Amino acid sequence: MSTLARGQAAAPRQVAWDDLARRGRRERQVRQGLLLAFLVTVSLPILLPYFWMFTISVSARTGGVESVVLWKACAILVPAVVAIGAVNVFVRRPFHKLLGAAAVLVLAAMAIVVAVGADLHLDNYAFLTNPNFVQDLEGRGEATVAAQFPSVWTAFFNSLVLASVQTVMVLGVSTLAGYYLSRFNFQGRASFLQALLVLHAFPAMTLIIPIFLLMYWTGLLDTLTGVILVITTLELPFAVFIMKGFFDAVPWDIEMSALSDGASRRQAFWYVVLPQVRVGLLAVGVFAFIKGWEEYVFVRTLLFDKQNWVMSLYIFWVSEDIMGVDYGAVAAVAVFYVLPSLLLYIFCQKYLTQMTLGGIKG
Amino acid sequence: MARIELDRVAKRWGEVTAVQPTDLAISDGEFVAVLGPSGCGKSTTLFMLAGIYAPSEGAIRFDGAVVNEVEARHRNVGIVFQSYALYPHMSVAKNIRFPLRFRGVAGEEADRRVHAAAALVRVDDLLERMPGQLSGGQQQRVALARALVKEPQLLLLDEPLSNLDATLRLAMRSEIKALQRQLGVTTVLVTHDQIEATTMADRIICMSKGRVEQIGTADDLYRRPQSLFVAGFIGAPPMNLLEGDAAGGEGRVGKRRLCVEGTEGRIVLGLRPEHLRFADTGLAAEVVDLEPMGREALYVVRSPLGDVRVLVPAGGRGAAVGDRVALAVEDDDLLVFEASSGRRLEGVRPELRT
Repeated sequence: MSTLARGQAAAPRQVAWDDLARRGRRERQVRQGLLLAFLVTVSLPILLPYFWMFTISVSARTGGVESVVLWKACAILVPAVVAIGAVNVFVRRPFHKLLGAAAVLVLAAMAIVVAVGADLHLDNYAFLTNPNFVQDLEGRGEATVAAQFPSVWTAFFNSLVLASVQTVMVLGVSTLAGYYLSRFNFQGRASFLQALLVLHAFPAMTLIIPIFLLMYWTGLLDTLTGVILVITTLELPFAVFIMKGFFDAVPWDIEMSALSDGASRRQAFWYVVLPQVRVGLLAVGVFAFIKGWEEYVFVRTLLFDKQNWVMSLYIFWVSEDIMGVDYGAVAAVAVFYVLPSLLLYIFCQKYLTQMTLGGIKG
Repeated sequence: MARIELDRVAKRWGEVTAVQPTDLAISDGEFVAVLGPSGCGKSTTLFMLAGIYAPSEGAIRFDGAVVNEVEARHRNVGIVFQSYALYPHMSVAKNIRFPLRFRGVAGEEADRRVHAAAALVRVDDLLERMPGQLSGGQQQRVALARALVKEPQLLLLDEPLSNLDATLRLAMRSEIKALQRQLGVTTVLVTHDQIEATTMADRIICMSKGRVEQIGTADDLYRRPQSLFVAGFIGAPPMNLLEGDAAGGEGRVGKRRLCVEGTEGRIVLGLRPEHLRFADTGLAAEVVDLEPMGREALYVVRSPLGDVRVLVPAGGRGAAVGDRVALAVEDDDLLVFEASSGRRLEGVRPELRT
């Protein structure tokens, strides 16, 4: 451009690089600002209910629910988020960015303490230590299962057993089946794969009566074992399919190489192939665990005894009993229920977002 | 080190025959190349030698003993795959060490051998790296080290150079060849690149459609191709193959008569571009295309025999497109093939009488 201009005009025209740089910076800031605003707006309706649940759990008192705390907190937090975004966009040095963000956070924390600090309390979390908290609640009438609530830890432990045993079973079976489907040719392989997809598309709810009868006849009704088997079975088709995809992406060459290096088929699988599908194992594992943790329909149908309650049943009965009386307690149980899934996701998201279905970097 | 024999070895996948019954003998310490276009069964042959595929029939012998039923892991065969097949989750050192763990070699002895193998291919300064952090040439060397660390009786190379750039390919070619000499390990190289095969191997096995077309030295394959396939496959630019007829000692190729004793029916006349030259007298022809290639120039010339490629060295007698030229060729350089079978008619000595 400049040489062209110089060639044509008699007086050489100076390019105003500084102006252009300023313009570029301004445009970048506007773009980032708009993006940030958009993301905040979109995530608000998703995050707000959870945030509300949390505020209720730490602020509501028996007999009513206050939304004042929520609005006050939002009135502080939303500007704080916007301010952090602004710092990110307008401050250029990384260290200053960090400093600015920290300052905003400290200010927001102080503002929250001043505005709503007096309203915060942990009374709603009494259920963690007191199994009879429903009965003990002030001003409540008859509970449907009053005084017979099991400890929340029983339910927590049952959920943990259900989710983890189920995860281990799903992982074990889907890994072996996926490997076999990926590597071996056998009669009916194609129809087996089609059947897997059909099974996955099949609505599980339609099976609820046959499954109930099956459990009844096999004596597995009202046992965790029964529910674990049912959920594992329902999870398996999809998990097998995913794992097959991951194994498909592992090149034959490295397996052949392992064989000629002296490994048996099993050793080649264990030392060479399995490490290539770690991300797949993690994905299938996380999804299976979450599925087991959040399972409601089948546990509601197949488990009756209070000692067999899992978290989803616990929260169901708590809300059944005291909803309308004590939202705070219900919200506290909900927060407690959601926490493990949240931690799991936070812990694994780094690996899960790396996942390009079946991709291997090598 | 081992002497390898294939005795009527064939491989079928259901209806499809990947390798036709094949006889082959590779002597101890020999460097053999299996050359052919993709899908000719050369990799299948390699994997049968490695024990990854079991032959459908016939016997594979190592030093005289049939190894058909011996599993891959017990054959002590080193393979370098086209993709190198390094284990992506293991460091270079662990990759090279991997074969040793199944041979009961551990501790300092394993360390010593890993270092020796790595030093042999000059990757001893990369031992802590992951395969993903290596260049193609380095990965190739690591794969070689991994194949050599087990002191194999047979080394198999599956298109080892095809993923390298041109300069590196040249370097690795001579390096692998020197290494093979130094170690004296029986080596089978599978490739579709004739230059790779002719430059590296003592002997070349030329395959097509699952069948061995010819076994011989690079010179044999070039000078005395036994079939149309070998004639067309070996040599660049490829041989001119001109169809014609023969009857009663008289032949006709294109518009040109020639003398061919001893065959009847459809024939194919083979004529290497480098054996043709422009002369003062000879076949009257016209230049229709010219591709200068630096060291030499490739002409396409319309002659009474048909369109032929002529390779003229730089500095030789040249011509321009449209020029009328005379083509000279020695009768000894003419090859005659039977069109129906593709076999070369060795006894037939055609005379062009230019």
